[in-house]
Amino acid sequence: MVVSRTALLAGTVLACVAVPAVAQELKIGVASEATSIDPHFHNVGQNNALRRHIFESLVFVDAAQKPYPGLAASWKAVDDTTWEFKLRPGVKFSNGQDFTARDVVYSVCRIPTVENSPSNFTIATKGIESMETPDPLTLVVKTKGPYPLMPLDMGVFGIISAQASGAGADLKFKKGGCEGLGTPPKSADFNDPAKAVGTGPYKLAEYTRGTRLALERNDGYWGAKPHWKTVVFRPITSAGPRVAALVSGDVDMIENPPIQDFDLIKKAGLTIVQGLSNRIIYVHLDQFTGPDWKTPGVKGTDGKNPFLDKRVRQAMSKAINRDAIVDRIMGGVAKPAGELLPVPLFGTSEDRKPEKYDPEGAKKLLAEAGYPNGFELTLGSPNDRYINDEKVAQAVAQMFTRVGIKTGVDSMTASTFFSRRNKYEFSAYLAGWGADTGEMSNSIVALIATQDAAPGFGNTNRGRYSNKTVDELTRKALTTIDDKEREKLLQEASKVGMEDYGIIPLHFEVTPWAFRKTITYTPRVDQYTLAYEVKPGQ
Amino acid sequence: MTQALPHDLGPAAAEPIRAERGESLLRRRLSAYFDTPLAFVGAGLLVLLLVVAIAAPWIAPQNPYDLAQLDIMDGRLAPGEKAAAGFTYYLGTDEQGRDMLSAILYGLRISLFVGVVSTLFACTIGASIGVAAAYAGGKVESFVMRVVDLQLSFPAILIALVLLAVWGRGIDKVIIALVIVQWAYYARTVRGSALVERGREYIEAARCLALPRSRIVFRHLLPNCLPPLIVVATVQVAHAIALEATLSFLGVGVPVTEPSLGLLIKNGYDYLLSGKYWISTYPGVALVIAIVAINLVGDRLRDVLNPRLSR
Repeated sequence: MVVSRTALLAGTVLACVAVPAVAQELKIGVASEATSIDPHFHNVGQNNALRRHIFESLVFVDAAQKPYPGLAASWKAVDDTTWEFKLRPGVKFSNGQDFTARDVVYSVCRIPTVENSPSNFTIATKGIESMETPDPLTLVVKTKGPYPLMPLDMGVFGIISAQASGAGADLKFKKGGCEGLGTPPKSADFNDPAKAVGTGPYKLAEYTRGTRLALERNDGYWGAKPHWKTVVFRPITSAGPRVAALVSGDVDMIENPPIQDFDLIKKAGLTIVQGLSNRIIYVHLDQFTGPDWKTPGVKGTDGKNPFLDKRVRQAMSKAINRDAIVDRIMGGVAKPAGELLPVPLFGTSEDRKPEKYDPEGAKKLLAEAGYPNGFELTLGSPNDRYINDEKVAQAVAQMFTRVGIKTGVDSMTASTFFSRRNKYEFSAYLAGWGADTGEMSNSIVALIATQDAAPGFGNTNRGRYSNKTVDELTRKALTTIDDKEREKLLQEASKVGMEDYGIIPLHFEVTPWAFRKTITYTPRVDQYTLAYEVKPGQ
Repeated sequence: MTQALPHDLGPAAAEPIRAERGESLLRRRLSAYFDTPLAFVGAGLLVLLLVVAIAAPWIAPQNPYDLAQLDIMDGRLAPGEKAAAGFTYYLGTDEQGRDMLSAILYGLRISLFVGVVSTLFACTIGASIGVAAAYAGGKVESFVMRVVDLQLSFPAILIALVLLAVWGRGIDKVIIALVIVQWAYYARTVRGSALVERGREYIEAARCLALPRSRIVFRHLLPNCLPPLIVVATVQVAHAIALEATLSFLGVGVPVTEPSLGLLIKNGYDYLLSGKYWISTYPGVALVIAIVAINLVGDRLRDVLNPRLSR
């Protein structure tokens, strides 16, 4: 008996030792593969998520996109145009070198030199006029005018090692081209684990494009060490096979399980978590005021642009039954929207509720605007970009048709859609916008600010909506350092834009993840899948 | 083979199977066609499908292309549930609240229309080019046939996908794309039989009479190349329908608000794993029945019209 008990105990101990060793590997099925390991190559969700494992930024953001200290231990605005960042002491790169302010300068300098970047990170470095490094752990950044978003910008890009990348001793920041940059590494160089040198919790171990990407824990990491010794990302772009891989145990966790498979996943004894994202799905209406402009796809208005009349825009908003879309098309996995970002993100207001479904009111408004019999409309939409995008577009078309606006749907693959949209081929289109910075100025600047290339306003405002009050309030907010003051200005700008129906918000996407019962993950607003935030146990 | 005088050459005159006295050729062919029970099934199904497709607007409980008649609150109802408007969804609804039965009837209409119209055009164009090339011979023929070879060396689906990706959605666009990818089959088929017929005495006789070229090609040569063409065309209708369904399934093709069978299957495909089988199964069954029926008819026609297989 005693012997057997000892044996049992030994067995238990063995099991305890053996099990965690196996369980320390985490396999994740991702919906889209990063286009490069180079942290500065492509400013897009999947790359930014991967980047955070290997290369860190000065400022981190939490699951709700609130900034907190990262490689910078603290920061403050010295005056209206100067930001001072105190860097974290004792941080080492994965090749053993110390992290200093020089690496930050080098990273900012290298960003504009990246070749063939589909979308680069200069958007986050554009505000920097000059950079000084009074000592290795202090960084002083000067801006042209007041620039309150500097800490957020510093959270957007990853820091690479100046030493490992071959920077010259005379490295010096200069706007428009730095001195002593040496020959910056090519994006493909980062595919080599020896060259992908960062400060992050993980190191690149192995990379086979299209098949797998393996990370290994960085045991010299300065912060809390992640639980998983190795992490494997497997790109499985089709939703069906991704779910199948999870259910069969091939992977431990997947991104974006399709809504219609939730029942199946739950029945298989797996967990699903959902989190509100910063992505708004909206309908933009062409409000270009050019005298000769013929709104394409609009018929039965005698050549007039009906969307210039606020009553028409309001009627269209009232015609949409957002609750029905969320319930029937999105399977409850979305939230009806009343403005461009969900509460509690910065610049949102608790009292901005989604427009009430009111088809009778919509018909009345259309009649008042001079369209008692409605008109004809073509609604453009991508069919593979957002969750159920084409189905939502059809539902919206159905609802427009009910109040008299006979709507057809022209849906296509995302690349074709965006290039046609940018040529203004749709007078009404459905699309989405995820605010990277998680605060209102990003959404307003992109979607409803008057188009103006110089400050980068209205880049994605392909409805060409223009409202002076919105512009002024936003511009003022962007130069207001005080957080409370800035938030108030942004709330006001959002309110003005929404009450003018400059854009029709539909719903916020909710991002789901599915995984084994033995792990947990807190949903992130930015939709990133971060292995070091995946925790074991319930 | 005995030949009638050139000036009274009708399409039937030079047929390989000659009509016996007192019995018309058509009747003989018809009775030969209905020799097997499968031919009955094929023809019966095809007629039935044609009738329901044509009568769809009168027999369908709902017009699935009129968005005002749809209600997403009726979305994804199982077969047999009642609509808010009072009728029963015998085959359930898709996620837009479209009655599947109505959608299948209308979808069938689109699929058959696209198949038949594209085949008619492709056949006319391809056969004209093929027979003209065969009669002309020499460099013209080589050139045309190399173009045909080139076209046939690309998968039809690939060409159609590229064309539609550029043009966008629309039934007219689908038909044009299908004509472009299919004409080469007919050119090739017709050219083969035209080469054989070209050497025959009746053509020689027609030439001796100094008949205009176009008259010889289209009045004498082409009619004698028809039997294999009819067979190919019948089978190609099924092929065109399958191709259209594939294109719509892949997200190009017909507009999403006017679904064909392929698009209906695609819509339901998303829900297959979640047990909502009716959204894609029933359109799939309808598509299979349509294609099988056409192929049965096509196979039997081939047997009947092929001189080597008869007796």
